[in-house]
Amino acid sequence: MRFALCMLATCLAVKVQAQEGWTTYWGDYGGTRYRTLDQINTANVNDLRLAWIFQTGVPGRFQTVPLVVDGIMYLTAAGGHAFAIDPASGRQLWHYEYKVPQGVKICCGTQNRGLAKIDDRLFMTTPDAHVVALDAKSGRVLWDVEIASWKNGYGATMAPLAIKDRVLVGVSGGEYGIRGLIDAYDAVTGKRVWRFWTIPEKGEPGGDTWLADSWKRGGGPTWMTGTYDPGLNLTYWGIGNPGPDLFGKERLGDNLYTGSVVALDPDTGKLKWHYQFTPHDTHDWDATETPVLFDAEYKGRKRNLLAQANRNAFFYLLDRETGEFLFAKAYGRQNWNDGFDEKGRPKAKPNTEPSPEGTPLCPGLAGGANWMAPSYNPQTGLFYFTYLEQCDVYFSAPPEFIDGKPYWGSMSRGVTDDHGWGMLKALDPLTGDAKWEFRFFHPGWAGTLATSGGLLFTGDEDGYFMAFDATSGKLLWKVSTGSALATSPITYRLNGKQYVTMPSGAALLTFALP
Amino acid sequence: MRGLLVFLVPFLVYAQGAKSDLDQGRAVFRSNCAFCHGMTGQGGRGPNLVSGQSTHGRTDADLKRIITKGVPGSSMPSFSDIEDKELARLVLFVKALSGGVATKETPSGNAANGRRVYARHACSACHRIGDEGSVYGPELTRIGAGRSLAYLREAIVNPSADVPPEWEGVEVVEKDGTEVRGVRVNEDTFTVQLRDPSQKFRMFDKSEVKEVRHLGATSLMPAYDGMPKEMLEDLVSYLYSLRGQGADAKAIQPRKGVQ
Repeated sequence: MRFALCMLATCLAVKVQAQEGWTTYWGDYGGTRYRTLDQINTANVNDLRLAWIFQTGVPGRFQTVPLVVDGIMYLTAAGGHAFAIDPASGRQLWHYEYKVPQGVKICCGTQNRGLAKIDDRLFMTTPDAHVVALDAKSGRVLWDVEIASWKNGYGATMAPLAIKDRVLVGVSGGEYGIRGLIDAYDAVTGKRVWRFWTIPEKGEPGGDTWLADSWKRGGGPTWMTGTYDPGLNLTYWGIGNPGPDLFGKERLGDNLYTGSVVALDPDTGKLKWHYQFTPHDTHDWDATETPVLFDAEYKGRKRNLLAQANRNAFFYLLDRETGEFLFAKAYGRQNWNDGFDEKGRPKAKPNTEPSPEGTPLCPGLAGGANWMAPSYNPQTGLFYFTYLEQCDVYFSAPPEFIDGKPYWGSMSRGVTDDHGWGMLKALDPLTGDAKWEFRFFHPGWAGTLATSGGLLFTGDEDGYFMAFDATSGKLLWKVSTGSALATSPITYRLNGKQYVTMPSGAALLTFALP
Repeated sequence: MRGLLVFLVPFLVYAQGAKSDLDQGRAVFRSNCAFCHGMTGQGGRGPNLVSGQSTHGRTDADLKRIITKGVPGSSMPSFSDIEDKELARLVLFVKALSGGVATKETPSGNAANGRRVYARHACSACHRIGDEGSVYGPELTRIGAGRSLAYLREAIVNPSADVPPEWEGVEVVEKDGTEVRGVRVNEDTFTVQLRDPSQKFRMFDKSEVKEVRHLGATSLMPAYDGMPKEMLEDLVSYLYSLRGQGADAKAIQPRKGVQ
């Protein structure tokens, strides 16, 4: 009996700790970015003020999402930096810098999105596609493994996903003729346990969706962290664009599993199901946006759901147990698709392919939605996300494949006199209907955070960090941080006090009530 | 006969290779350069490349430098991330645009008269040449090097034909009904900053004004569509002759990468 109580107490402690800290890239396994913390709420958010600033001194896009575990904050900065800091004061505890060897060419940017943690070990990816394990107590390197070679166009920017004693990582390089993959490593030894190729080879299921040997350089990067359902023991990953991005003639076919979400068994890396949002994509519409997991009653039946606001301007709802397509609905301007068949295959309109003379089309190459994290608030039942409202002219030309070199198949550019803007939208995820929206002057790259204080935090391209009433969409608080915001805020509680943290420029800004 | 065949085959292979380099150069041009220089290189917000005239040189090395480093003082950005092979193809295409044929644009008017037209219409109340004039409108110090004759003509007769984003106008209606008109210097979700015709900065919080109107494609410049043809050609000739070094050395922005 006593033992059982202890067990229960431990369980409760772990649960409370999880709600107080921010223990994964998404803050939770399901990618909902929702916290039951309400010290800061709709009534007092107007009093929110700066608690401290941590200056990383690192130039480059600051896209980290910090972790807060057991009273310590861990974050990364561009190029291979990691820091441990005091989340109450912002004072540094240790600093680690990964040195990219001289002569290495970085394909896909030096930005880094953050860490994963298992016990006393932290895990990060590096611009040259390594996974590094650090001792959380000191920042000392425990192991360093190459995922794949930069010489073949691989890089990494994503935050790893920790499941049980495994570290799951993905790669960048969709514009460099890679063959995409998801790897799982043993947290203690760094030994690779399994690899899932995002592009099947000839003879495997899906291998016939690629013309000739185009699968060998077909892209399908995995540059955003997946989500995980411990109950079903499935991990969900959005797969990036096929390559060459804008020229599809040499890779005729649906090009599985690019532009898809895949459900994998995290113990074996085996594919359970997949759903392809954009078959044979030629607009660089990566499907790497967060697969958000939540449960709700849909059409009279309680279901395990997966929602994604895709870069192709459609919002999707799937059954995450089976991969069944439930519905999709456009959330922004789009003119590439005429609807869906009952299996969820889009009816692509004719003459929407990129062309030598340029094809104007919405959404633009960068979306739509992109890496900006959405949120799901079970109190309001709403799905919150930011996206780019812009169109592009898409050009194509046959590219030449050179290992490790750009493999775009031409370019896109903005439509003349079409400015584009940014949007924050609250959707009913069971219908795809918008409940409220807020327009930003410039298209931006900041994601969202939802709290039980009835708040929705986000930012814009002009550096405003903002809090909205999650129910009405009313703007309640804002501060100009002075630099474009390009990641998502977090919240945590420490010694009874709630904090909200947002990276801006080279600074980590943390706010609290006075 | 046999000798000729042997000679012809390598030539055909070479010619095909050359054509495909040119095609690839055209593809690079269309997706990167046509936005300003036009799909056929006839000019737009950027200079006419068909005329074969250039202030900055026409050799391969000149063109490579212009493309990869940009032109300080103009709106030509740097394309520093272009691959060497693509750059060579692009240069090949740009050179082919002028085709080695002298199709030089020749203004038909009298530039000296045009200078008087410029003064009579008080163009310097909004524009600047060298150190003289106002910073309210676009600087014209080197406008002849950056625009075709057709573009210049249209910019006078119908300035709304092309309004680059950095010259868009905004009208702010204050709470008391006062209208403030100016060039948009900066704007975000909550604020807007203008330069008014007296060259003063005017800055507003959007929540504290009645309305913010974006003029968009409607130019702040009056249309001189009634200007007699001869006078117009003189003015165009004068503007075309302006090829001095720009004082506004704009920071050159590299393109943003997209994953």
